[in-house]
Amino acid sequence: MTGPDRATTLAVLAEAAWPEPGDGPPPPLPGYLHSAFNPLVAAVAERCLTRAHRAVPAPGGARCAIVLVSADGDRASAAHVRATVAAGRRPGPLFFFQSVPNSVAGHVAARWGLAGPVLCLAPTGDPRADGIAAAELLVHDGDADAALLVLIDDAPDDAGAASAVAVLLGGGDTR
Amino acid sequence: MAEAAAVQLTGVHATSALGRGAAAQLAGVLAGAPAFRPVRRFDTGARRVDAAATLPEVGDLPDELAESVTEACRAAGLDAARRAGCALLLAVHGGPGVPALAGTLAGWTGLGGPTRVYTTACVSATSAVADAAALIRRGDADRVVVAAGYLVEPDQYALFDAGRALATDGAVRPFSAGRTGLLLGDGVAAVVLESARRARRPLADLLGWARAGDAYHPCQPHPAGRGMARAVGAALTRAGLPAEAVGYVNANATGTGHSDAAEAAALRAALGPAATAVPVSSTKALHGHALEASGLLELVVTVLALRHGKLPVNAGWLGPDPDCPLDVIRDAPRPAATRYALTLNAAFGGANTALLVGAA
Repeated sequence: MTGPDRATTLAVLAEAAWPEPGDGPPPPLPGYLHSAFNPLVAAVAERCLTRAHRAVPAPGGARCAIVLVSADGDRASAAHVRATVAAGRRPGPLFFFQSVPNSVAGHVAARWGLAGPVLCLAPTGDPRADGIAAAELLVHDGDADAALLVLIDDAPDDAGAASAVAVLLGGGDTR
Repeated sequence: MAEAAAVQLTGVHATSALGRGAAAQLAGVLAGAPAFRPVRRFDTGARRVDAAATLPEVGDLPDELAESVTEACRAAGLDAARRAGCALLLAVHGGPGVPALAGTLAGWTGLGGPTRVYTTACVSATSAVADAAALIRRGDADRVVVAAGYLVEPDQYALFDAGRALATDGAVRPFSAGRTGLLLGDGVAAVVLESARRARRPLADLLGWARAGDAYHPCQPHPAGRGMARAVGAALTRAGLPAEAVGYVNANATGTGHSDAAEAAALRAALGPAATAVPVSSTKALHGHALEASGLLELVVTVLALRHGKLPVNAGWLGPDPDCPLDVIRDAPRPAATRYALTLNAAFGGANTALLVGAA
């Protein structure tokens, strides 16, 4: 949802992608299993925030939101759980803790000290435009001064590997 | 005193195990009888726990959402022309087909404005309400419908069971000694928010709203309720109200040990001495935890209770927990002493929201 014509007023402070040239799969993320979704979010967020801040914690992190945009969420984990349940078995407990994208967003927030709002969206339009619009609304509304936007493409059209982009937005004036 | 509200709720509807429609929710929470029963909707033979709050005759989620949106719009007096430009913010569990669901639902219900889908776990619906208010306040919209839905189904049930999050004694006991966890419940709800300039049938003023994070842990709340305290404080500041003005808190409390204690700590931090005087209950003990939809169901219940002048009980109470020193409503509904109430929600990721409403 991008709303009426509204100029983008937050500046791009840093940006990263995964993969970038030379990348393989994202490194495993302790506590998360089975799917690349959560390691991908963590890896791209880490790269973006490191470019912006060099090291944890993020300066001004107390007023930085996380906006995670994903069309389908963690499809691989959801499919595994569905098959396990349909077979009458118990899913492993770790699947409970990674059952919503908030979980890995919380991992990033805790690591970098980002204490603004945590928001996960499924885009109804262009994912980047939707995410920026959501971040700008949070800033305009006063709950954040900046936002880490993470865009996950878990279902690429060309059957390639999942990819992600992270953008640190801030420094603008949306009021 | 709060300034004149810029945002008002003008239509509400909800369906839960308490029944279908707003009147059923109010009657159910004031009756104070929890709706948890053995699960008949699917096989729980491989699960540790067999209890949830499910409505026996329930349609599929898109149909139930359409009914809630239609009825909330009808309650608000929105004809086709008024719905045509109306935005739809939808809160549901993420997955394939979810973005398209918003468009489908908007088409079915005649909502022609922009759509957005919130998949941010148990603060999905309340984040949507906060954003709806922000869109209205910024002048982007005069009228927004927020809809949310979760119907108890085998996959999430199995995950909560595997995570040992479900109550093992068949009851949800928020803030109580002896609490053992949460139980899931059906919840489908819709609310219409309008700018005060446009509202013709205000039910309540949405005076304050805020979202804040804990920056603490992927799945556990900060033990001192750090993010929740900031959300409550920001909602009060936006509303221009002192803590003492709040006459009721519909708490997030899920009946989970560390989570309820963190919320109690947050209330003490945010409300100060008023935290021990304000009546508190969690209606999840009656209708269960509706996950992505929980906050909207609880907002509807809170508004209806405030307007009725009676505050619902905190069911399942066994005795005080020294980590939760709050004025928990027990035994019988209590008269509302003020027209203002907070409804709080928290989620994985350390996400917290606070909404502050005033009965119109």
